[in-house]
Amino acid sequence: MDTTSFLIQQLINAIFLGSIFSLIALGYTMVYGIIQLINFAHGEMFTAGSFAGLIVLMGLQKVGFVDSHFILSMVLVFGLGMAYVAVLGVSIEQVAYKPLRNASRLAAILSALGMSIFLSNGMMLSQGVSDRGFPPVFGWDGFRIMDAKISYGQVFIIILAFALMYSLWIFVTSTKLGKAMRATAQNKPMARMLGINVDKTIRVTFMIGPGLGAAAGIMVGLYYGSVRFDMGFIYMIKAFAAAILGGIGSIPGAMLGGMIIGFVEVAWSAFLPSEWKDVTTFVVMILVLYLKPSGLLGQSATEDKV
Amino acid sequence: MKKLGIFVLCIAVIACFSGMATAKTLKIGTMSPLTGPYAQDGTYILQGVKTAVKVFEASGGLPGFDKIEILPEDSACDGGKATMAANKLINSNVSAIIGCYCSSATLPSSIPVNEAGIVMLTPASTNEKITERGFKNFFRLPPRDDVQGWSAVKFMENALKAKTVALIDDRQTYTVGLVDNIKKFAKETGQLEFVAHEHITPGDKDFTAILTSLKRLNPDIIYMAIYQPEGSLMSRQVKQLEITATLVTEDACFQPKFIEVGGEATEGIYLTFAAPVADNPVRSSFVKSYSKDWSVGENEIGSFSFFAYDATMIVLNGIKNGGVKNLAETIRSTKSLGATGEIEFNEKGDRALAHAVWIVKDGAFVPYYNPVTDKMY
Amino acid sequence: MVQSDLKKFFTYSFFLGILILPLVGFATTTFDAPRAFTVWGVFVAILAFGLIIKVIRHSGGYKNLSDSLAPIHKQIKDKLTAVPAKYYILALLAFAVIYPMATNRYLVDVGITCLIYIVLGLGLNIVVGLAGLLDLGYIAFYAVGAYSYSLLNLNFGIPFWFCIPIGIAFGCIAGCIIGYPTLKMRGDYLAIVTMGFGEIIRLMLNNWDKLTAGPNGLYGMAKPALVYPSITDGGLTWVTFHLKSLEALYFLALAIAVLTVVGVRRLDRSRIGRAWVAIREDEVAAELSGVPTMWLKLLAYALGASFASVVGGFFAAKLSYTNPNFFIFMESCIVLCIVVLGGVGSTPGVIVAAVILSAVPEIFRELQNYRMLAFGAAMAAMMVLRPEGLIPATRRKRELHAAEQHQHEES
Repeated sequence: MDTTSFLIQQLINAIFLGSIFSLIALGYTMVYGIIQLINFAHGEMFTAGSFAGLIVLMGLQKVGFVDSHFILSMVLVFGLGMAYVAVLGVSIEQVAYKPLRNASRLAAILSALGMSIFLSNGMMLSQGVSDRGFPPVFGWDGFRIMDAKISYGQVFIIILAFALMYSLWIFVTSTKLGKAMRATAQNKPMARMLGINVDKTIRVTFMIGPGLGAAAGIMVGLYYGSVRFDMGFIYMIKAFAAAILGGIGSIPGAMLGGMIIGFVEVAWSAFLPSEWKDVTTFVVMILVLYLKPSGLLGQSATEDKV
Repeated sequence: MKKLGIFVLCIAVIACFSGMATAKTLKIGTMSPLTGPYAQDGTYILQGVKTAVKVFEASGGLPGFDKIEILPEDSACDGGKATMAANKLINSNVSAIIGCYCSSATLPSSIPVNEAGIVMLTPASTNEKITERGFKNFFRLPPRDDVQGWSAVKFMENALKAKTVALIDDRQTYTVGLVDNIKKFAKETGQLEFVAHEHITPGDKDFTAILTSLKRLNPDIIYMAIYQPEGSLMSRQVKQLEITATLVTEDACFQPKFIEVGGEATEGIYLTFAAPVADNPVRSSFVKSYSKDWSVGENEIGSFSFFAYDATMIVLNGIKNGGVKNLAETIRSTKSLGATGEIEFNEKGDRALAHAVWIVKDGAFVPYYNPVTDKMY
Repeated sequence: MVQSDLKKFFTYSFFLGILILPLVGFATTTFDAPRAFTVWGVFVAILAFGLIIKVIRHSGGYKNLSDSLAPIHKQIKDKLTAVPAKYYILALLAFAVIYPMATNRYLVDVGITCLIYIVLGLGLNIVVGLAGLLDLGYIAFYAVGAYSYSLLNLNFGIPFWFCIPIGIAFGCIAGCIIGYPTLKMRGDYLAIVTMGFGEIIRLMLNNWDKLTAGPNGLYGMAKPALVYPSITDGGLTWVTFHLKSLEALYFLALAIAVLTVVGVRRLDRSRIGRAWVAIREDEVAAELSGVPTMWLKLLAYALGASFASVVGGFFAAKLSYTNPNFFIFMESCIVLCIVVLGGVGSTPGVIVAAVILSAVPEIFRELQNYRMLAFGAAMAAMMVLRPEGLIPATRRKRELHAAEQHQHEES
């Protein structure tokens, strides 16, 4: 393997990893933007999505639908998985966050933490403690650029991730609901005064954010091939760092942050002692926050208090 | 003064009750991770113990005891939690403890158990330091990490005729200890050259960056000192990236889940694990009752269930033959046949158990190479 | 009124129902009907109970009942407050002293864990409760304490008592290192950075093989020892008595906890404590009133860290073993939970919460897998129903209620 193909292969690895982080980070950033809450339960949304996708996929495979209609069954797996998690996201918001909208910031964070523990243990009880394998639907084939190999599964997932991010961008910038969302994020009382249904907007945010997380969960399951009840945690921390890095509350920031974290991880593992990989992620995050406290693309820090 | 009287009375009453309760019940404690990432293996251990007790009771039970009670505790692969669990078990007057799974939990939790003079047998922890501390009441069923490391090195040198090896570990007590052993034994002949030593984080899913680097180095062998969840995923990614190196791994991956999750990607991977045991009557009867108790196929029994079963049988037979008081001496001086072969403990509490190299063939583990005799099976 | 209330109730239960859906028993390919039935049965029963209470409340039954109970309630309260606080404290202390003699080995072990969490909770309370800095990486200081004792004792044979001041110094330094870059940050950014630092310290301990033995952990540290003179016929000799038994360790932990309680109480009521509260309330105003906010924030970190460091050293000594995996992020969360559940800024609250959080999971050990589930649910429920904590600090309670009133007026 020559150096060029090595670099190309690592580039592919980084883009793939980065797009997954970006999708998860988007959920964080959207929720934070709108109610200034670190949604600790987001990692569990990601896992729940993965499980939901697996259940749909297994069901479809049992009746032999996957082999006959591959694209349609993928649409079903992603559609149903994301829909389920969107409903789950709204439920969490209604049950655990809405009553705390006026309480202190700490109370809301702890409530989120409680939800995270609750959900991950709930999944452990229903789905078992060990990891569950995804059937290898994509096979092992792919095409190559010089010596670097991209599998069709990777191509499918990268395209899907970018399509989801692009549609989110269109939604936020050009639809009425998206604009309402941005308005609510900027100034809640003002948005309310202008006739925006703030509660509804928040509900929509809690559908889209976890929905994207679920998509990432299904992608991880399909590509890497397994899902376990506690896998959300490690992704949560990374995606969290990504959201912060890009400037929490900023949607392009989350996409950029996810990509950066993906690149940093891959580059570090590729060239430097890999045991320090996770340390680097955090160091990069802290350095960025120290030098530019609002993140790369965030607005300047607002007055917030614990 | 009056208060003190009441207090003494209370203690006396409690003591009476606890004394009454233990009169006819033999208590055996288990410590294994029942929650967290290694809960699968922890459950295998508990199930093995339960089957053992069931089989033992069916064959006549213990004279002098009405009932054998199992007290399962969760050690969560965490030294602090395991120590607490150990104290709880000591406190409930258990006669013996089977546990723990992770070496990092066994190391600290065996200290109070040893001080209390209770016999403890580990069905899974292989770190050699555990039995190097001179504990008189501690026994280990599986072979030690240095045996495993030696077998792996022997296999890579003699059977695979390898020159270059890349090591991957996940920086946990067990895996780091194993890799150290491999490096130590490889130094003796100097045939193996370690071209890379990479580390992953437990729980990670993406190893493509590390594997791509290894692909460029093109070693003969990639040695994965990692647990099953990551092991399955890594073998899939190795196949995905079309890496030609031979994969060799260890006993933490030796369980049905490894093949189930890894699928066809695990085909042809070599694993070091306790040498295959000639089918003896104990083993076949265990396999039968276990698969009936837990409704699993006879080939799907977790590897640690065998050790847990043997550990429990040793304890129960030891008590039957020599009483609870002399349990440690009885175990040390008795030779017996178990589901994992001949059982005999040395001074340190270890068995002279050999490792073998196994291969994944058509979705099952098949013995492949015997490092002791340097021959193929 | 009743109708809208009922509607609210049903919407809430509907969403709660969705939330417990993952529990219902959809395994990957099968559907576990009996479990689904049980879970939903319990859920519906709880809902029905809630509904009955609601109805009673609305029909006025509850009001009558509470009215008739009010005088008794007041009487009890008066009686309770008539006894000076110091008697309660004495009673509590007496209980704590008798506890190891009256209970068994396991309960003493749980007691030690409780005391460790009390100290950790109180230490974090300085940072979060008094100075208002959200810290999600607090367990790192605990790790610093544990490792500094282990390394000093193993490499240089320094006894426990000398390691404590050294550990405090290390803790303070670590606190300042982490505190300094975060001084400019506020609120949630601070939370993230402290979380990052916490993870960095854990990973460093895990990766720095030469110093910390990596994931193998360090073991074989000496237990704390008492050295006392003994006069025998050969003259005066010094006898070393290692605190090996759990009871002895319990009393040591109790001593650390009592010292911490006293220390934190005094800090709370000192000039520094008031200055911290001023920073928490309004940093700009505090700065303008001449409070050196920079130094005080650093001091809060350093002091909080030193308490954790002391108890970390104790923890390492107790187990004679330490391992980087003891100091995971979840532990920081648990300590934070103690602070918030107990009531931010409230010392008795933190003590009660520490006891509950470390004892309850042990009580429900039999339930194994369900205990963490219940723990998570209880945490969220607690925040929803009583965000000010179990025993709110009086000052804090006033604030929260003022905020509520404010909101009320606004809407």
